[in-house]
Amino acid sequence: MLGGSRLLLAGLWLLGSFSCLRGDAGGYRRKVTLQSVPGSNSSSANLLHVRAVGRNDTLHYVWSSIGAPTVLLLYSRSQSSALRVNWTKLLSASPAGAIWIEPPSSVVYATAVVFTKVFEYSGANVSALSKGQEEPFYPPYDLADFSWQSVNHTVNQTALTAKFQGVNTSDPGGTLGNGTISFQVTAYEQGGRDGPLPRLLHTANSSKVEFIMDHVAPRGNSSRFMLEVVTVEEKGGRKKLQSVRSIDDEYTPTIFEMAQLVSEPRNDSIGPSFFQWKTTAYGSREASRENAIRCRYHPLQTANRTLPEPSIAHAYFGEGLGRSHHIAAINISFGGEDGEVYAEMGYLSWSALLGFGPPPKDAFSPLVMAIVAVALGAPVVLLLAGGLVVLFARRKRHSQYEPIN
Amino acid sequence: MVEPGGEEERPLLDSAQNDCPQRKALPALCDPRRLAHRLLVLAFMCFLGFGSYFCYDNPAALQTQVQRDMKVNTATFMALYAWYSWPNVVLCFFGGFLIDRVFGIRLGTVIFSSFVCVGQVIFAMGALFNAFWLMEAGRFVFGIGGESLAVAQNAYAVSWFKGKELNLVFGLQLSMARIGSTVNMNIMGWIYSRVQDLVGSTGHSTLGFTLMIGGVTCIFSLICALILAYLDKRAEKILCKEQGKTGEVIKLTDVKDFSLSLWLIFIICVCYYAAVFPFIGLGKVFFIEKFKFSSQEASAINSIVYIISAPMSPVFGFLVDKLGRNIIWVMFAVVATLASHIMLAFTFWNPWIAMCTLGVAYSLLACALWPMVAFVVPEHQLGTAYGFMQSIQNLGLAIIAIAAGTILDSRGYLFLEVFFSACICLSLIAVVMLYFVNHLTGGDLNWSAKKREKLQKLAAAEAEKREKLRRQNEDDLAKLQPKNDFSLRNRYLSKLGAQLPDNYASYLPALAHRSVLK
Repeated sequence: MLGGSRLLLAGLWLLGSFSCLRGDAGGYRRKVTLQSVPGSNSSSANLLHVRAVGRNDTLHYVWSSIGAPTVLLLYSRSQSSALRVNWTKLLSASPAGAIWIEPPSSVVYATAVVFTKVFEYSGANVSALSKGQEEPFYPPYDLADFSWQSVNHTVNQTALTAKFQGVNTSDPGGTLGNGTISFQVTAYEQGGRDGPLPRLLHTANSSKVEFIMDHVAPRGNSSRFMLEVVTVEEKGGRKKLQSVRSIDDEYTPTIFEMAQLVSEPRNDSIGPSFFQWKTTAYGSREASRENAIRCRYHPLQTANRTLPEPSIAHAYFGEGLGRSHHIAAINISFGGEDGEVYAEMGYLSWSALLGFGPPPKDAFSPLVMAIVAVALGAPVVLLLAGGLVVLFARRKRHSQYEPIN
Repeated sequence: MVEPGGEEERPLLDSAQNDCPQRKALPALCDPRRLAHRLLVLAFMCFLGFGSYFCYDNPAALQTQVQRDMKVNTATFMALYAWYSWPNVVLCFFGGFLIDRVFGIRLGTVIFSSFVCVGQVIFAMGALFNAFWLMEAGRFVFGIGGESLAVAQNAYAVSWFKGKELNLVFGLQLSMARIGSTVNMNIMGWIYSRVQDLVGSTGHSTLGFTLMIGGVTCIFSLICALILAYLDKRAEKILCKEQGKTGEVIKLTDVKDFSLSLWLIFIICVCYYAAVFPFIGLGKVFFIEKFKFSSQEASAINSIVYIISAPMSPVFGFLVDKLGRNIIWVMFAVVATLASHIMLAFTFWNPWIAMCTLGVAYSLLACALWPMVAFVVPEHQLGTAYGFMQSIQNLGLAIIAIAAGTILDSRGYLFLEVFFSACICLSLIAVVMLYFVNHLTGGDLNWSAKKREKLQKLAAAEAEKREKLRRQNEDDLAKLQPKNDFSLRNRYLSKLGAQLPDNYASYLPALAHRSVLK
């Protein structure tokens, strides 16, 4: 027994050290700076620039609340590429070409994600929605009409986070009440995993955005909310919706599905771009399983989509945005048939990861593998050892008998 | 040990020969001597346990609703099961004592039924008043009644059907228990949605009303207890029989004499059941989330284990009796359970496969494991051994239930399934060790039925010879002793040194604890 337990311990240690080695190998590190781009007088015209410099490339994430909240994902082959902004043009009626990367030729891949609208509907019977029946929709909140607070105060250089917080100005004192809708941005220097739920696995080539609704007053008894996300791909590229079902819910308890929008594979080193999320939202600042809110997504809409103006996507991609780019939209709804979590808590938070390269995939934790190995191995070892002991005992007994014969 | 009186052993029909005043002929349905009346009593007996089995798994059937309406995490939710188990860690030593010495079977049954009723009402009140601690208190009171009620139910069965249709009666009672669980799993969700339509919204009061409606089954069972008490009293008057007894004797100091084999059986039992009952308690959400089942489908698959074991238990009982080799059967059942847990954890295969395997393995284990205790324990310690087994099983269930809830909240179902698999592996290790211990010490646990029969015949012949010598003038009484395998086995045990009382009904204490089989 004692020897066996020592063996088990050794096995555990071995497994642990293996996992450490693996963790080190994946630790590619980027030098990340996160700053608000100065130059505008309006507090609502926020431009947040995340610059992640790698060995021979740079990732630019440009977040903005000019128009609908938007993020530009730009991949540049140069370590010294820089963001340039023409503010007067950007805030004018025709912003095309107001944002560019210097030198422009270094950018090999550009894509954008725009958060356009928040819908509210009565969701007592969500199954009707999937059947395509008419749902009693309330007038949607157009995020482009929101007034966004200055991002300057929320930039945290050490944690690499910033928060865009918006209130509805088009309807003052109206339905939104004193509620806010915000987008919390987190940039990463290297691969790892978040502490709080949903504990998304991230790489050095990705950033996280958290969509938060706080005290937005529901307009009905069983209101559900739905976020519309629009993606922009250059011509030839095209985003596909994938559902990755996994048996592993260790990091996000009881959630077995990861949904992701992935662009078509590319030939260059950086690979595709992705936008991925776990199919859950949480109804509390302290996310936990009991305040989980069911999250569904609806089919990707690609036919005749246009991107509503204004947004910085128009400023970067220019006039040809409609013709030469591929635009796809997806609706992500929160709350199932019987989930009144939002009505009770008045809070909703949903996280998504966006970045370049193959989308991260969860793997079994070393602890799970160790337990499985030990638990399955021990009875087998015991069976073998016991068999030997019995065999040995029998032979011994046999040899004692032989002289008598 | 106190010898039970000869009175108790004597069949009901014969007691008419006593100096009881002969009554005039009664209609068949009202005459305790007739089969028709006994069947009527049997119906009440079966429904006696229905309420407690129905309400035991109420939390599992309403897991999502309870967690949402009471705003509790899974660990706290699982405390509802733990609170049921806590009183029974101690109480299962005293259930038989309370019935035999303190209350008597009739009053005892009524009292335990009332506990079940009051417990369920408190449980529902806790939901109505949105006080989770009150719900826990309700489950505690419910637990005090529930397990002892099962012991009383068995004592009733023995007192009415001894030497007649007893095995069938036990089988029926067990099936009824499983029907109670199954009906609960499949109907509580529906009742909740009906109440929700009526009240207009979900919430703790909806949950409270639903549980109150579930409590009606307990009231029904209490009425059965009252009727049974009346009928039993009446039969006692007519037949001049004694009140039924469990006949179990518990001596805690016996624990120090327990053999290694018995301890290994305890480990198998605790680890195995800890990986089955808490899993069923948490299963519904698992099937909804991982396999995208609807709520009804999830309820159905979650109750399949109970449904399968209802018809399979008698079949396996017969099979194991005929073939012997208990350890191999137990090992097979444990490995099959391990396989089904691994299937559920690591694959997206249709979960019906895994759950049906689990159901079959669970029935097989119950039939092969529990009789083994009788092989390794001398007759006079049987009551203590079963009481102890039940006690640590309850302790294990309570602890594992809370642990399982905590694991689910922090690490999810994959880890929970891995944890359950590890428990099963621990159980498997104990089985393997039991096999070798038994092999090396030359125990009889793994003999084939043939070999066992041969030895039993020898032992029986010897015992019979001895008995003939001892009580030549009472040989007519000896004939009345049941000649089933169990009693023969125990005669063999008595040959090994355990002195049995002459007319000791050897299967009584063992069967009094059938409630553990659930």
